[in-house]
Amino acid sequence: MDKGSLLHGVWVFGDYRNYFQNRVTLQLIAKGRGLAETLRTRVTVLLLGEAVHQYAMEYIAHGADVVMVAEHPDLKCYQVESYTNVVARWAEAFKPNILLGGATSFGREFFPRLAKRLRTGLSADCVNLAVDPDTGLLLQTTPAFGGNLLAEVVTSQHRPQMATIHPCVFKELPHNAGAVGRVVYPEIEVKANTRVRVLRSRRQQVQRDNLQDAEIVIVGGRGLGSKNQFKLLFELAELLEGEVGATRPVVLAGWADEERLLGQTGKTVKPKVLISIGTSGALQYTTGIKEAETIIAINRDPQAPIFKMADLGLVGESSAVLPLLLETLRNRI
Amino acid sequence: MNIVVCIKQVPDEPIIRIDSERMTLIREGTESTINPLDRVALEAGLHLRKHNGGQVTVLSMGPPRGEESLREALAAGADRAILLTDPAFAGSDTLATSHVLARAISRLRPFPDLLLCGMKTIDSDTGHVGPQIAEELGIPQVCGVNKINLEEDSLVVERLSDGFLDTVKVTLPALISVSRECCPVRSLPLGALEIAFSQGDVTRWGCQELGVSEEEVGLKGSATRVRRLLTPAFTRKGEIVSGSPRLLVDRLIGTLEAVGLLDEEDG
Amino acid sequence: MIAFRESPISAHHNYFVNGMLAQGFVVGDPSSNDSFFLLADVVPHGEIRPRISARLMDEEAHLLLELKANRIGRNPGKCSIEPFLDGYRVWRSSGNVLIEVRTRVFANGYLTLIEARLFDEHGHLRVEPKDESIWVCGGECRFLAAPLPEGGSTKRE
Repeated sequence: MDKGSLLHGVWVFGDYRNYFQNRVTLQLIAKGRGLAETLRTRVTVLLLGEAVHQYAMEYIAHGADVVMVAEHPDLKCYQVESYTNVVARWAEAFKPNILLGGATSFGREFFPRLAKRLRTGLSADCVNLAVDPDTGLLLQTTPAFGGNLLAEVVTSQHRPQMATIHPCVFKELPHNAGAVGRVVYPEIEVKANTRVRVLRSRRQQVQRDNLQDAEIVIVGGRGLGSKNQFKLLFELAELLEGEVGATRPVVLAGWADEERLLGQTGKTVKPKVLISIGTSGALQYTTGIKEAETIIAINRDPQAPIFKMADLGLVGESSAVLPLLLETLRNRI
Repeated sequence: MNIVVCIKQVPDEPIIRIDSERMTLIREGTESTINPLDRVALEAGLHLRKHNGGQVTVLSMGPPRGEESLREALAAGADRAILLTDPAFAGSDTLATSHVLARAISRLRPFPDLLLCGMKTIDSDTGHVGPQIAEELGIPQVCGVNKINLEEDSLVVERLSDGFLDTVKVTLPALISVSRECCPVRSLPLGALEIAFSQGDVTRWGCQELGVSEEEVGLKGSATRVRRLLTPAFTRKGEIVSGSPRLLVDRLIGTLEAVGLLDEEDG
Repeated sequence: MIAFRESPISAHHNYFVNGMLAQGFVVGDPSSNDSFFLLADVVPHGEIRPRISARLMDEEAHLLLELKANRIGRNPGKCSIEPFLDGYRVWRSSGNVLIEVRTRVFANGYLTLIEARLFDEHGHLRVEPKDESIWVCGGECRFLAAPLPEGGSTKRE
């Protein structure tokens, strides 16, 4: 078979750890097929590890044309530098047009190093991909400015065009046991990495967290004015059977514990209802709440940015609204 | 132990304004702060210095007002602060940014034992710069670290990655990016900020000092560019209501009833 | 430039030969009457048993046995088959194992491993085992894209 058909392909990094829960590689193969068809090329999945035959077959079943394999005991554990060495060598030889990876923890640590090695562009955590009909370039849509906007990014000159993609953005193709494809084994030199050694790796149980499980979350910001005002939120939470969250200024002021912090450096919540009181709507806070089903905001300033992301905005003094709200709710129950 | 912490000054403003020509943030006139995770990285560096001696140097690439964040870092206890600033740096993607930072780091004498940074920023959120600096400098990296222990000439760190809690041993020099659990952030000592602003020394390096050409940095030195910005990912067209507290409370309760969190009352 | 090897594989069932997955392979010529051959034929979707056919000799080039789709045919060497849960072994009358075939079951597919040290009619070593794979050392290993037609010649890949 000719090497020609292996050139300029759409490549997908095979992130097979936690294979049956982590479906992102399969999602990217599916999306990759569409991109490859437009670009008249093939989808190749990269598979590095030891005894990874099962995954080669799975990737073919889910739509890969080619699986490129490096099997070596020193590749058994995911390792950024070792993997960078192998994939960079392959990329130099086969010149892929596009190289996609899942935005898993490993993907987000590995792909930047690889992109730097290849001196090419990389966009992170994309929420969409498309081929521009005029230029043939890969249009990479990523969250920007703390997720408040979306940016359409292109890598015009450098190759491959690299991107990590957020899990569950694309849908995988169903498993097709009748599928056939090719497996390719390039010659590689693998040296054990002595600089980074994983001494222990333990599967972590996902910690159940009251705040992250709550159906209704009430968040207090600096606009509440005082710790005593903030304390009222606990009573409100109790009446509504919810949990209390806080913004960074509130935590820094000592009105609430770090555990209650929501946002980029805190927790992300997706409750049914989120009531945000006395918060202006700073980027690093709203990024932690933007997926709530219904957002109700209370703020004295009608221009407060929080109102741009509220389903219901109430302009008023929290010091007046809160006590009345509590009284009303107490009388109902 | 010679430690370098890379920090980024990020907007602290809720309102973002975009330069639609350059597709970048308009930073003038906005409140800024040290990227929260970089502040954690700084704290981790100070902690290591406290227990092992040595020096903490803070580096930041940005416009001239980036000095504010460096002074804040000095107030927190850093020994030395360097601002990498040059009009040519504007519009850098992570490839170009990591190049500038790597060049600056390689100028330091002695070469640092440890590079620290936050695992991502609140504005760009890529997490690319750390690994790309490590690659350019040819040193190992471990990202997302929540615990650091020093052992002779290597570090033993812990980090959560894809559902696995890894304990990793890494030889120095190395780059470590930290998660928010890595180190608690103490408040600045009283008066330290004033001293940092009045007496603190911030060195400035530009293209010339770093020996980089304009082609290697900024928009020219970048591989990616933003072609366009798209409508906010999560704006909602909600109703904004003004009125008496009674009115507001009734509207709020009405909404809670509508979504089923409160039973509707008769009457 | 980089050197590489490749083979066709299926999502459903593959063998492991020369350190590569392959949906089917053949060493030697199955259409001949007296020559050595080993055929690991493509297993169509719907079947799960590997399809091994062979004409096997000993180190002195004496014919030991013919296998046709896992069944013993001509057997001058008086070999015997021992089936087990995930495969089978063929025993020589000398008490050694001639060939062992074992199929690993994955969640959605199958991998058949063959372990054998085989000689041809000239007494040359043609196939030997190493690290779970079978390695073809004398002559060509041809990969198959489809099951061989009944009694047909080896299809060139």
